[in-house]
This record gives sequence, C-alpha cells and structure tokens, in this order.
Amino acid sequence: MNVQDYISSGIIESYVLGLASDEERIEFEQMCIQYPEVLSARNAFELALEKQAIENVITPSASIKNKIFEEIKVTVKEESQTLALAPVKKLNWAKYAAAASVVLLAGSLYFNLNLYNKNKTLQNNYDNTIAKLNDVEKDIQILQQNPNVKMASLKGMDVSPASYTTVYWDTTSQDVYLMINNLPKPASDKQYQLWAFLDGKPSDMGLIEITEKPLQLYRLKKAQAAQAFAITLEKKGRSDLSTPAGDVYVMGKL
Amino acid sequence: MLQQRNEKAFGYLYDNYSGALYGIVKSIVTDTEIANDVLQNVFVNIWRKIELYDAQKGRLFTWMLNIARNAAIDEVRSKGFRDSQKNQSLSENINFEGAVTAPAIEDVGLKKVLTKLKGELRVLVDMSYFQGFTHEEISKALDIPLGTVKTRIRSALTQLRTMIQ
Repeated sequence: MNVQDYISSGIIESYVLGLASDEERIEFEQMCIQYPEVLSARNAFELALEKQAIENVITPSASIKNKIFEEIKVTVKEESQTLALAPVKKLNWAKYAAAASVVLLAGSLYFNLNLYNKNKTLQNNYDNTIAKLNDVEKDIQILQQNPNVKMASLKGMDVSPASYTTVYWDTTSQDVYLMINNLPKPASDKQYQLWAFLDGKPSDMGLIEITEKPLQLYRLKKAQAAQAFAITLEKKGRSDLSTPAGDVYVMGKL
Repeated sequence: MLQQRNEKAFGYLYDNYSGALYGIVKSIVTDTEIANDVLQNVFVNIWRKIELYDAQKGRLFTWMLNIARNAAIDEVRSKGFRDSQKNQSLSENINFEGAVTAPAIEDVGLKKVLTKLKGELRVLVDMSYFQGFTHEEISKALDIPLGTVKTRIRSALTQLRTMIQ
C-alpha cells in the first residue's frame, strides 16, 4: 500500500475523531509505529483540531469547576480512609485473614450464581431480539426492493434532536409503514401521531401504538398523496384528530 | 504529574480545556443545564481515568475530546434527556427546508466548519460524528450502500481537515 494514499484516505481524521472501526484503529496504530509520516500526519491533524477547538471555546459557568472539585475531593478522601484503616487490620492478621477468606468464598459463590442467571437471561433476550430483527429485516428488504416504494427519513426537531424515524410509502398500494429508529417513550397520557403533508397542509395518518419491540415496522393509514411526513406528540383521547396540536418530534420530505 | 492525580495540574487542565470541551458538548447537547451536567461528568471521568491515557495513541486533547463527545452522545440517547422537553408547535404551513438537512446544526466550533460541506456530506458527518450513528445505521436509514457511506464520510472528513488547517 502507498503510504501517501493511506494518509489522504480519511483514516487519520476517522481515527482522531473516534469514528474508525476497531479493525481500522488497530491497523492505524500499527501504521503509526511503522511509518513516521503517518504519525506526523496524525499529529498535524490533532494540532489543527485542537487549535480550532481552542479558537471556538464556549466558557462554561464558574460553578461547574467547583462542583467538579467537590466531587473529586470526595473520591480522594474515600481512598485515604481505606488506606488509614490498613495498619489496624494487621494486628490480628490471622483472624482477619480467616474471616476474609470465608467472606470471599461466600461472595464468590453468590457472584458466580448471579452471573450464571444473568447470562441465561441475556442469552434468551438476545435470541428473541435476533429473531425479531430477522423478521423486520425481511419486511424492510421487501419494501426496499419494491421500486414503487418511496422513503422519507424523518429527523429529530429541537424538542428531541436525537429522534429519528423512517417512513416507507408504497405509491401503488398507498400503504404507509413507519419504522421508529429512535423516539422517546411517551408519557402514559401522551401518544404519537403521524401526519402526511401536501402543499403544507397536514392530514392525519393515524396514532402510533408504540410497542417494546426494537425496530418495529408500524402500518398506518393509507396515503393518496404526500410530499412530507411528520410525527407530533399529542394528548391521548383527543376528540378531533384532524389537526396537530402537540410538539413536532421528527419531520422529513419524501 | 497528572498521573499522580495532582489537583493543581487538574485545575490547570480544566482552566485550559473546559471551554473547548464545553464547545463540543454544546454542539451535541443543546440544553444548557444538561450540557453543564455532561461537562461535569466529563471532567470527573478524565480525573478518574487519566491512567488510561496513552500518549502513543494521540494527544491528551484528542483523548479528552473523544470522552466529551461520547458522553454527550450517550446523554442525548439516554432516557433522561428524552423526557426533558421544550415547547415547539406545528403551524399549518411549515417550512421543510431546514428540517431535511440536519436540524440541530448550530454555529459553534466544528459544527460551523461543517456548514461549509455540501448538503449530503454534511448530513453524513452530522449523523456519524454529532449523532453517533454507525455506518450501518446510516446506510439503512438513508438507503445508501454501506461502502458508499464509508467512502463519502471519508471524503467529507478529508475536506474538513483542509477547512480547519
């Protein structure tokens, strides 16, 4: 491999910004040892990044520094207290050693049992999740392979920037499917509602009954025409569902 | 000096880098109070984990920057953040222009640099760096092949490098 090509491949930025995969990271660290030019390119980017960040500081409020120092002082105190206790234990070391070994044994038995149970539950959960995931992937594949299906990525708005959902709309059958990639769990008296937009006017696409299943595909009302979709969080049991009233969580064009 | 958990050195570290790390936290977590909590946790973690820092793998600032970014993304994806809400209502005639290209972009630090990237690349970098989505998730969500996601992000990142130098 040409080292210059490697340097300009974007790997340096991926690594430094924490976006590289485990494999890429290991390889990159090897390359840094082997080729000084890779290392100096990494240094140069790190310095530029640091300089850029220093030029764009946002000064946090002064109270934060005090809070941090209070918190780290607590941990220092705890450590020195355990150290101070150590000489006392030494006086009766045989007794303490015997007592300690019994406690350790009991503790380790309990710990093992606990681990075993946890492991079993995790394995069951994992199997279930994989099975569900396979079902969803099959559905999504069918949708994605259909040329009549249009897709809209609905991105999180200010109330919930990390939210993210995807709408699949079959223009021939007019079926609308929603995949919730990430949406906060609504309070018990609230419910999400999907809207289709045509010329800026919203029309109700139905309420979303959120289940606990990961990456669940929801089938909603049919849409004849739409340019965009959005999801709002509404109060449960509204009498008029034809206009949105709550906060917009996600939104996106077709 | 740092490795011995020297408080004075730590104070120096805080004075010199808190603003820069707060910048990255604020570009991911918009709410000021939550961002303050995240920054506090970031520095407590730096204090506790300083022995794990390996100078061979990069500069101290890079290490701290990654701790800050990860903490902010974890916070955004956690339940507590989702429950805190601001008010925003939907008017009938809504402008979608802003909504399609990443809505959370603000004019701070790296995000400001990001606005110079062309639309699609900007969305990719925003999703991966500021929202913490994996390449697989992005590929699925945007319906772009995984290999393409990877090459486009790489190309966007090399462009970012020339922008900040």
